Amino acid sequence: MYPATIDHYLAPKTLQQALEALSLQHDGDAMCIAGGMSLMQAMKSRLVRPKTLVDLQHLPGINSIQFSPDAIAIGAMTRYAAIARETRLHGAYEALNDAARHVGDRQVRNRGTLGGSLCWNYFAACCPATCLALGAEIELASLDEKKSQRTRRIAIGDFLKGPLETARRSDELMLSIRLPAPPRNAGSAYKKWGLVTDAFPVVGVAVYVEVNASGACTAARVAVCGLVSGPKRAGSAEKALVGKSAKDQGAIAAAFQAAARELDVQADMWASPDYRRMLIQELGSEVAHTAFQRATGRK
Amino acid sequence: MQQSVSVEINGIRYDEQVPIRMLLVDFLRDTVGLTGTHVGCTFEGVCGACTVHLDGEAVKSCMMLAVQANGRAITTIEGLAPKGELHALQKAFTARHALQCGFCTAGILMNAAEFLKENPDPTDDEIRHALVGNLCRCTGYSHIVEAIRDAAVEMRK
Repeated sequence: MYPATIDHYLAPKTLQQALEALSLQHDGDAMCIAGGMSLMQAMKSRLVRPKTLVDLQHLPGINSIQFSPDAIAIGAMTRYAAIARETRLHGAYEALNDAARHVGDRQVRNRGTLGGSLCWNYFAACCPATCLALGAEIELASLDEKKSQRTRRIAIGDFLKGPLETARRSDELMLSIRLPAPPRNAGSAYKKWGLVTDAFPVVGVAVYVEVNASGACTAARVAVCGLVSGPKRAGSAEKALVGKSAKDQGAIAAAFQAAARELDVQADMWASPDYRRMLIQELGSEVAHTAFQRATGRK
Repeated sequence: MQQSVSVEINGIRYDEQVPIRMLLVDFLRDTVGLTGTHVGCTFEGVCGACTVHLDGEAVKSCMMLAVQANGRAITTIEGLAPKGELHALQKAFTARHALQCGFCTAGILMNAAEFLKENPDPTDDEIRHALVGNLCRCTGYSHIVEAIRDAAVEMRK
């Protein structure tokens, strides 16, 4: 399979050049290519036929993880391989390690980027749901009428819409995925189940918890992927986890039974609705257990 | 529609005009004439037979456009053993009978060569995890895992 004819290929060296290229295009004519691990497949199957490709590989400053006292900023072009290797996400944001280490295969992780995954927002992608559970914030850049750069920040829950939809306008470029400085006693984890090793998730569950000195949960976020409606928070499970600790296994299991009832699960060629509900329960309990262990510093 | 691309392949620089939509794997095979890089699945990027090194990292060349390689360095299977002597992985694959039809072998060798740089002393589980992106339909993988393990020992010497 071959992509449809592409009229223009641009490889901007600066953010200004990239934003000018995007601002000049009509909606849908130009597409950004990051690692291309989703877009190349979509172009080859003719799902999309961009007239202009804007290759982001040469943009400076958006391909690494910056740690500062008040935030962690993951450049949109940071590749899975770099996130998989990053040890400073341990504990509070370790779910990102879990997700990145099992995306696709080595070759995909060498090319695919976190920003690309979020902007594509495939329904069975690991990273959108993981970032949803971690409470990330998305930083987008664009040009104003005077061609000056401006940025806006948007909560991940507002950024991710339905499958293959986000709040990014076609003239905007994602700069970074921002996480607040990790609170003490916070932990997160992610796990998926797919038909073969490291395949797209039939269901994936990400859990983030904060705990107090006695190990009881004070705040929780739960997000699920593999749902036809796109990545979703499971509010029932989040509420049910508050006040519980790692030893409350029955309560944790009940929390994910509630999540399985709450979420809209589909039947498709990979799994029945009942099977998906079972996966949400089983993966959820296991992932929550790991998140609690990481929050309390136990391995 | 056409775009110039300047890329170093196995140490030799190539300057060509190519259609923007040309896949890197087709550039390597049809324009440059290096047919050791194979095309298996062509579409989904799932078979790994077209794996090459892009600035030293294993990537699938059917999942990139040739123009994206502009200004970068590529190594194909033809460049794995530039001095005429086989790479430790190639010797181990021969000794362990780690191929039958050989169609997937070039991709596996390129992936494994980078993997062993990253992880010079892998466990069998780590080797198997590293092979997720390469399909082999003949061998059942056992001999491939053994060969990569042997090559790792050899390369650590």
